[in-house]
Amino acid sequence: MADSSPESIVDQKEPELTSALEDYLETIYELVRDRKLARIKDIAKARGVKAGSVSPAMRRLSELGLINYVQREYIDLTPDGERHARRVLAKHQMLTRFFVEILGMPSDLAERDACSMEHSLSPVGMDHLVRFFEFLKCCPGGDKFLERYHRCSLTATEAAHCDMGCPALADQLAPEEEAMSLMNMKPGESARVTQINGAGAIRQRLLDMGLLPDVLIEVQRVAPAGDPIWIKLQGFQLSLRKSEAAAVLVEASK
Amino acid sequence: MSERFRIALAGNPNSGKTTTFNALTGARQHVGNYAGVTVEKREGVYEREGREYDVVDLPGTYSLTSYSPEERIAQNELLNGKFDVVVVVVDSTALKRSLVFMAQLMQLNIKIVLSLNMSDEAEKIGQRINLQLFRDLLGFPVVETASHKRVGVDDLKAAIDQAVAAPVLNSRLVLGERMDAALDGIGESLAKTALPPVHRRWIATKLLLQDPTFVEKLASEGTEGRAAIESADRWRSKLEAEYGTDVALFTMERYYGFVDGLLREVTIRHAREDARALSDKVDSILVNRLMGVPFFLGVMYIVFWLTFSVGEIPMGWIEGGFGLLGDWLNTLWPAGSDSALRSLLVDGVIGGVGGVVVFVPNIVLLFLCLSLLEDTGYMARGAFLVDRLMHRFGLHGRSFIPMMTGFGCSIPGIMATRTLENDRDRLTTMLVLPLMSCGARLPIWMLLIPAFFAAKWRAPVLWLIYMTGIILALVLARFLRSSILKGDQTPFVMELPPYRLPTARAVVTKMAERSWIYLRKAGTVILAISIIMWVLTSYPKPQEATVDKAIAGGTVQLVKIDVPSDATDALKEKKFAAAMELARKSASSSVELISVVEAEKRRSAEALHYSFAGRLGRAIEPAIRPLGFDWKIGTALLGSFAAKEVFVSQMGIIYSLGEADEDSQDLRTLLGKTYSPLVGFSLMLFLLIATPCMATVAITRRESGSWKWAMLQMGGLTFVAYLISLAFFQIGQLVT
Repeated sequence: MADSSPESIVDQKEPELTSALEDYLETIYELVRDRKLARIKDIAKARGVKAGSVSPAMRRLSELGLINYVQREYIDLTPDGERHARRVLAKHQMLTRFFVEILGMPSDLAERDACSMEHSLSPVGMDHLVRFFEFLKCCPGGDKFLERYHRCSLTATEAAHCDMGCPALADQLAPEEEAMSLMNMKPGESARVTQINGAGAIRQRLLDMGLLPDVLIEVQRVAPAGDPIWIKLQGFQLSLRKSEAAAVLVEASK
Repeated sequence: MSERFRIALAGNPNSGKTTTFNALTGARQHVGNYAGVTVEKREGVYEREGREYDVVDLPGTYSLTSYSPEERIAQNELLNGKFDVVVVVVDSTALKRSLVFMAQLMQLNIKIVLSLNMSDEAEKIGQRINLQLFRDLLGFPVVETASHKRVGVDDLKAAIDQAVAAPVLNSRLVLGERMDAALDGIGESLAKTALPPVHRRWIATKLLLQDPTFVEKLASEGTEGRAAIESADRWRSKLEAEYGTDVALFTMERYYGFVDGLLREVTIRHAREDARALSDKVDSILVNRLMGVPFFLGVMYIVFWLTFSVGEIPMGWIEGGFGLLGDWLNTLWPAGSDSALRSLLVDGVIGGVGGVVVFVPNIVLLFLCLSLLEDTGYMARGAFLVDRLMHRFGLHGRSFIPMMTGFGCSIPGIMATRTLENDRDRLTTMLVLPLMSCGARLPIWMLLIPAFFAAKWRAPVLWLIYMTGIILALVLARFLRSSILKGDQTPFVMELPPYRLPTARAVVTKMAERSWIYLRKAGTVILAISIIMWVLTSYPKPQEATVDKAIAGGTVQLVKIDVPSDATDALKEKKFAAAMELARKSASSSVELISVVEAEKRRSAEALHYSFAGRLGRAIEPAIRPLGFDWKIGTALLGSFAAKEVFVSQMGIIYSLGEADEDSQDLRTLLGKTYSPLVGFSLMLFLLIATPCMATVAITRRESGSWKWAMLQMGGLTFVAYLISLAFFQIGQLVT
């Protein structure tokens, strides 16, 4: 049925059709395949549009020489039309398979995404996608890799059985340990900065003041309402608001 | 031949940069504002061996990004200011952080001199630096200074000359191979644009960091410009992928790496570990959870007391002095003279100028206190303690002291907003500050409250007025911060320097500077407006006063008494009573008998009625009637725009009570009879909220750098005052 070999999909000499027209072509192809002929109202029903919207599209497709359209009669595909439709369908199916078999998406969503992506994906993009798909299916390590991926993403608890030393695993095993920030520290506590989050002027100010990863800080005191915080670092002292301190991630110093 | 060189001073805030500037230029300096922003512009000159050096003190910044007006201005000046040398002033006790700033400057392809300021402190805590090695490694002069003690200033001047004479060097800045590769790569793309080569390295860095100012600039440089941006984007992705961190952090780490390496080489001895032990101990007492806020409030109270109570005394002298001056001027004209010049000089000029100068003791004392607080470092502690509360309302910890000051007088309060590092915080504080019921309004409260409210209500009403001001200030601040002054949250991250003992010279210099600014700027505007107010209230004059017509026509008779000028009031009363009796006997019953003083009062009242001010008052009456006001209040309000106390005296004149002040029983009673308490409170609300005085507007203009904000303050506050008085009065009428 559908020819899914890479070469037939990548063909740069096709006329440029809009996605809507391609969708129509696809629908016509499927209807013809299933019932031999397609009527305007069948097409309209399959696509979920009014019969009146279908006609102009049919005229256009007819102009392009892709269908035989005689008003009020059945529609069928010309040989060119059939070729084009097969290509579009192949793209669609390839994408769907990729989403389902490789990425592990549920099929209805995969179908929907494939439907929209098939038009925007460039021939080169499609080519790469297919190659990757083939690689995963063929390469000896590839299918093991795919298997592990599916196990990891589809069943989180299965990851515990994974012997690859996955860093995500650490999170899975100890979900209570949130990244601690300066905001959570109490007077007298010391810690080492691990990361500076935030953005813009505040982040730049934190960096300017010497708050970088690996710097040792000690909380001296907090203001009466718990905000701002007074810290000591590298020989000088700073105060910052709790909201700013939240951007300074720390780990208890060893 | 007189050569002229341009020198820039750059550095972190609190590094002693401005003190260095003062040490270099002395009195030959000029302080203004960069157009449209609250950022101060300082320029000065010094001379050495026949050459002249123009010095520009750039705004203190921690970094040269484009996040704040200070940074943008500093950066812009450094790029386009055509400086011969940039002196980087750093706090020697915080070298690591300060030198990062210097590292950034080293990318600017400009001659540098490093001034290790506060070197006396660094020495005290045990730090020793190998200056010669430092110079060799950096390739430019390095000097140790202690500018607040005027130490090292000559060395600095010599170093500047050295730098001027040296050829432009290849920067010794080392940022690591990957960084250099990236900057070279981007630099190549930049070479294809029309931009001059001198700042290429800097622009490359900025593009790598996605600085919007530079991205925009390059985007307008055609395809080459866009290619450079794309090159930067590619390098950024590469670096971020390689290092796993974003490019801003990566870059900072490169700078710190360079500085670390440098310091490792040149530090002979590190500062003692316990260098701050004493300062920390003091902090643990003054800033602890229990004592911190009460102590701070106590300090504020002392500042207040010092400024306004102690300041009373010299204020009295100045008032007296101006009074004498006025009296003396009066004697230059024959008694009873109608000379316009005399009136202009005595009422307009002396009144106006006197009104300005009288505040000088307050300003001087206040800034003495503020300088002390700032220089010792306690100001930062205060801001730390109250920031949470202030921030809730869109203000800043450092807004607290200026606002507290506003309870005494808005003018020094607004000037004190200087301590706020950020433009938006500063403006917000400035705009709402006048709502802190100032000292000049006190006479008004003293007049109006007893006039309308029974004894037991007086204290609560006064408290209510103050509270309304505070609450409204907070609400408006919040509003401003979420509308016109909205913006990226500005960082609070604030350094807490160790406690220091300020030098008398530094404190006095600051104090003198602020006072001089006040006199010059506020003074000139106030003088101008005083004269305008004088014109409005004096002209046009009625041809002939009604009372004089009546005297001429015989319906009114003047009863004169003959007393020596130093006679007591009691004596005058007695004599007048006797004279009245005598006159009564001989005059017909239809004739009204009045004293000379009474005639004068009537003349004044009529003159005011007839003048522009009076007419304006009548003209605006329809607009203010919904607030419960009449034209008399209107006229007095217009007069009060000059200075709030004027309201009271104007009301006195309008009601023909002549010279009235807040103790005037007559005026109080009269007001109480003429208006309802509802009107009274509505009036008080209006006086509370509307702009206190033109001096405030003048000083806001000066501190904010443009008329826009001053006008917004005046217009905005007046508008809000109108709305609130209106709402209060109308609702009040419905309810009662």
